[in-house]
Amino acid sequence: MSGSGPKALVVPCSGIGKTYGSVAREAAYIVTEDLRPAETCLVALSLLVMGDEAARAEVAACPAITLDGCKLACATKMVQQSGGTVAKGLDMLDAFRRQREYKPQGIAVLNEGGQKLAQAVAEEVSAIVDGLLPAAPGQGEPHNA
Amino acid sequence: MPEFLSTVVDKFTFKVALDRYYTAEGVWALAEGHRVRIGLADYLQQRSGDVAFAEVKPEGTTLKAGEEVGALETIKVNISLASPVTGTVVEVNPALADSPEAINQDPYGAGWLAVLEAAHWEADRAQLLTAEAYFDKMKSQAEEEARKT
Repeated sequence: MSGSGPKALVVPCSGIGKTYGSVAREAAYIVTEDLRPAETCLVALSLLVMGDEAARAEVAACPAITLDGCKLACATKMVQQSGGTVAKGLDMLDAFRRQREYKPQGIAVLNEGGQKLAQAVAEEVSAIVDGLLPAAPGQGEPHNA
Repeated sequence: MPEFLSTVVDKFTFKVALDRYYTAEGVWALAEGHRVRIGLADYLQQRSGDVAFAEVKPEGTTLKAGEEVGALETIKVNISLASPVTGTVVEVNPALADSPEAINQDPYGAGWLAVLEAAHWEADRAQLLTAEAYFDKMKSQAEEEARKT
């Protein structure tokens, strides 16, 4: 984990070959690379599955936002089993239910609906991050998502 | 609690409730006096994937057997559901509006779709499959699907 100050972890589904898993991962990239790069860190679910010590330490130290691609909720379960705290868990199917106009399709490459759904989820995650972390000194204004 | 026939195909277990009748497509019909409760068979819900939206014709709608009684939008497909009976919709499962996943979680119980006042139940029943007949058909379909993948 790079940078200083409190971080929120974003842990997306690792389901390969699943459309909603792709939405989860795309949303995680948007948050951690574009919307809240200084406040968030992406943790690969596979590292937790393997018991990677560094990943487990991060999860134990920081609140996590999990993005699950299906009802198995692997991201949420692995964070909990790794000793972490799930500050908020988001289910991609529930996200689609809230944004029915964004029907995701595709796997390796999401269609426009999938990309828009990922963006909507990313903005939801960013708002959660803002609520979780204290504002940095001199940073009184909220982010523009 | 109904009894079930079950089979394992590939890594999936499919159940068929013994106390009701089925269309070949996998919609079940359970007689309750003059009324018939309908829903999705386990194989159909598993094959279709997680249900995102379930829409059922409103109460008061009169249908003939084979006409669309509802539609599902799942993570994989949009499917139209044909009514197994002729009659009038008298009750729609209210839980489906907020929790359509009930269809996946409990297809033979809490995930029921609607109740119809049947106009010709005996005649309609003669056109439906028994649980045993549907089980054989479903198993063949599932095994065929497994061979393709």
